Amino acid sequence: MLALQLLATGLVTGCALGVVAISFSLVYATTKIFHVAHAGIYTMGGYLAWSMVMYGVPFLIALLVAMVACTAAGALIQNQLYARLERRRATHLVVLIASLGALAVIQNIIAAVYTPNILQFPVNWSSRMMAFGPVRLNYTQVLTIVVSLLAYGATMLFAHRTILGKRIRAVASNPMLAGITRLQPQTVYVYVIAIASALVCLPGVLVPLDLGLQPYNGVTPLLTATIAMIAGGVGSITGAFVLSVGIAVVQNLSLLVMPGEWSIGVTFFIFVIFMLFRPTGLFAAR
Amino acid sequence: MTAYLQVDGLDHRFGGLRALQECSFTIEQGRITCLVGPNGAGKTTIFNVITGFLKPDQGSVAFRGRSLDGLRPQSIVHAGIARTFQNLRLFTDLTALDNVLVGISGQFGEEPLGAILRPMHTARAQARRRMEAMQTLEHVGLADRARDLVRNLSYGEQKLLTVARVLATGAELLLLDEPASGLSAGALDAIMSLLRRLQNEGKTLLVVEHNTRVVQQIADDVLFLHQGHLMAQGTPERIISDPALAEIYFGGAL
Amino acid sequence: MDFLFSYIVLAEIYVLLGLSTNLLVGIAGIFSVSQAAVFGVGAYLVAHFMMAADPLSFIPSMLIAAACCVALNILVTLPSLRVSGDYFVVTSFGIQLLATAVFTNWAQGTGGANGLPGIPPPDLFGWPVETTGRYVLLCTLFAGLGCLAFWLIMRAPFGRLVRAIREDETAVAAAGKNVLRAKVSAAALAGAFAGTAGGLYATFLSFIDPSSFDLDASILLLTMVVVGGARTLAGSVIGPFLLLALPQLLTLVDIPTTIAAAARQLIYGLLLIVFMLFRPQGLAGERL
Repeated sequence: MLALQLLATGLVTGCALGVVAISFSLVYATTKIFHVAHAGIYTMGGYLAWSMVMYGVPFLIALLVAMVACTAAGALIQNQLYARLERRRATHLVVLIASLGALAVIQNIIAAVYTPNILQFPVNWSSRMMAFGPVRLNYTQVLTIVVSLLAYGATMLFAHRTILGKRIRAVASNPMLAGITRLQPQTVYVYVIAIASALVCLPGVLVPLDLGLQPYNGVTPLLTATIAMIAGGVGSITGAFVLSVGIAVVQNLSLLVMPGEWSIGVTFFIFVIFMLFRPTGLFAAR
Repeated sequence: MTAYLQVDGLDHRFGGLRALQECSFTIEQGRITCLVGPNGAGKTTIFNVITGFLKPDQGSVAFRGRSLDGLRPQSIVHAGIARTFQNLRLFTDLTALDNVLVGISGQFGEEPLGAILRPMHTARAQARRRMEAMQTLEHVGLADRARDLVRNLSYGEQKLLTVARVLATGAELLLLDEPASGLSAGALDAIMSLLRRLQNEGKTLLVVEHNTRVVQQIADDVLFLHQGHLMAQGTPERIISDPALAEIYFGGAL
Repeated sequence: MDFLFSYIVLAEIYVLLGLSTNLLVGIAGIFSVSQAAVFGVGAYLVAHFMMAADPLSFIPSMLIAAACCVALNILVTLPSLRVSGDYFVVTSFGIQLLATAVFTNWAQGTGGANGLPGIPPPDLFGWPVETTGRYVLLCTLFAGLGCLAFWLIMRAPFGRLVRAIREDETAVAAAGKNVLRAKVSAAALAGAFAGTAGGLYATFLSFIDPSSFDLDASILLLTMVVVGGARTLAGSVIGPFLLLALPQLLTLVDIPTTIAAAARQLIYGLLLIVFMLFRPQGLAGERL
């Protein structure tokens, strides 16, 4: 019975994580930048929505405005940071350090403004329960599953059916060729990070709606999501999503045998197993 | 009798492209062999396979009767084969002397522990290596540029330096990827006389070259590669006068 | 006076950590946010051996801790170096978060979040190091030895090799050199430095807790190298002395104590961005 409940909450966490993973994967597969600052965008979305809800803005509107703000922040990072470094032919390491710097800046602005203490959304419906047979989930958890699956479907449709999506995939598969033709990789990168930032805002708001906000809570989900992305095969949206769900379920079920403080160990163990036996991932394109 | 270098039945695919197909040939010691063929014939791929940068799908390479299959690049250098790159790949922020020094094998002080525990010995060993490197630079005619950063060297000087770096490894079979391309007449003469000198000193050379005049002047043997396969092997005169090969090489321009 | 001495001691400990991070980030070219974890392992190990029921003295404790940190650093860098640089980012974050989880939750071993008090002061062959003044001497000795070692390897062929590797790994392999081995050597040495620093830190403060060895601490170490400069001795020394002075400067400005920590980390983040954009060679180093 407990196992079933843990499985269900694992699915919830996994779906939210899946959106983090596909958004990170979009950025990484296209720009080849290990966009650590993405964790900051995730955290920022939650705090912006919280502030608006505190001032009486309806939740849905707060979520949408937060998404717009995240989009802008993501585009700004690409435009003002990554693109500049690219023009200077900075090494990969330099870009990575700059990204880490951006993460530290975002997190600590939040910590300075909101204090590092945990904050709860002042929304009364979020913890109302629904029963599915023996399993009980609250409204937020159900909403998380629905929204995440929609986000996954929308991303798949976008990548395969729209012109911009095809352009992104073309740039991802061969940036040099795309640079010679008229696909303009640098412009595409701005779009990609903007879209990914809007996407990551969804779990960034929905997860804290259930569990509360803290300024430094973005790193662990991002790390888990990147592990899911690598295990799923870089470039595969489905792989990233499926593996996120898988890892979150395993993590939750591990609670049956060990306390929750060690779940990072479980995640990392999964990563090491993949590194040793299948470093290209399960859904590897090539 | 085992061949000096034996390349046997190499096959390699890049995605859908078959870069090498059943490519086999041998090279004799002490000769200059030129590897020619149209663009995309697989010349650089052959180099990458021989020097361990690329694992072929099939086939094997043996040097002095010893198989090189599965060896990493640095082990192949120690076995006695070293290469240059078409795009040079020099360390442009280092001096010419340092570029040569990187190539010298078995230096004391390349391991941190040795350098920390025996600093005097390291310094003395380094002074000796520096002398060796200077001699190598003198040999290729770059002694006066030893202290200059590579990015301040002319293109011709950089090409000579790539040969110096290969010489520093002590390898006896040198694989040179287009050593003469893009050079002025003066630099061309310098490199050709250097190659001749190296041959007289007992080195064996495998050279990728496009310029037929260079091939005619330096090659003892020519290997003609087409679509990843050895089409013909022979003296330069025979290969260059073969109309069928010229047709492939120049695409009917003659 | 004691205040100045404490600053010097801490700065010298961080010089060892700066050298360690420089070996890994500047020389092996590995992005690392887990050097604080290795630092912590060194600190907890030395504390453990010196406080055991059958205690070891200072020098043997330090040697064991350094050896364990060497092994740890090799273990974590080796597999990732073989696969891809980006996977090391994951490994590095993972090691750091895992280490923090262990330091915080393994109560019997580390004292958990409450920390480990009562670590005895070091003794050097019967010469107890109890005053801060003596501690300055001890740390100067260790930091001096660390700097000497770094200077020796960077002027030896190893230094030339790693500079060449930074430019073109393929060409280094073609010149007959083992790139992986050079990087692993740098990682091993980085482990020894971090472990030593950990032991000095634990015995100096006599109290350690997980907050000294968390992700923020790793970011601070990275900032030190970035500000000081990669691959040079001067860079590894300047960075720690400057950045440890920063919190003192912040106390001069009137910032509420509740946000002082966030403000400090914010400045580190800004420094990382600004230096990467405008001065990737740091104040006294070579380009990253």
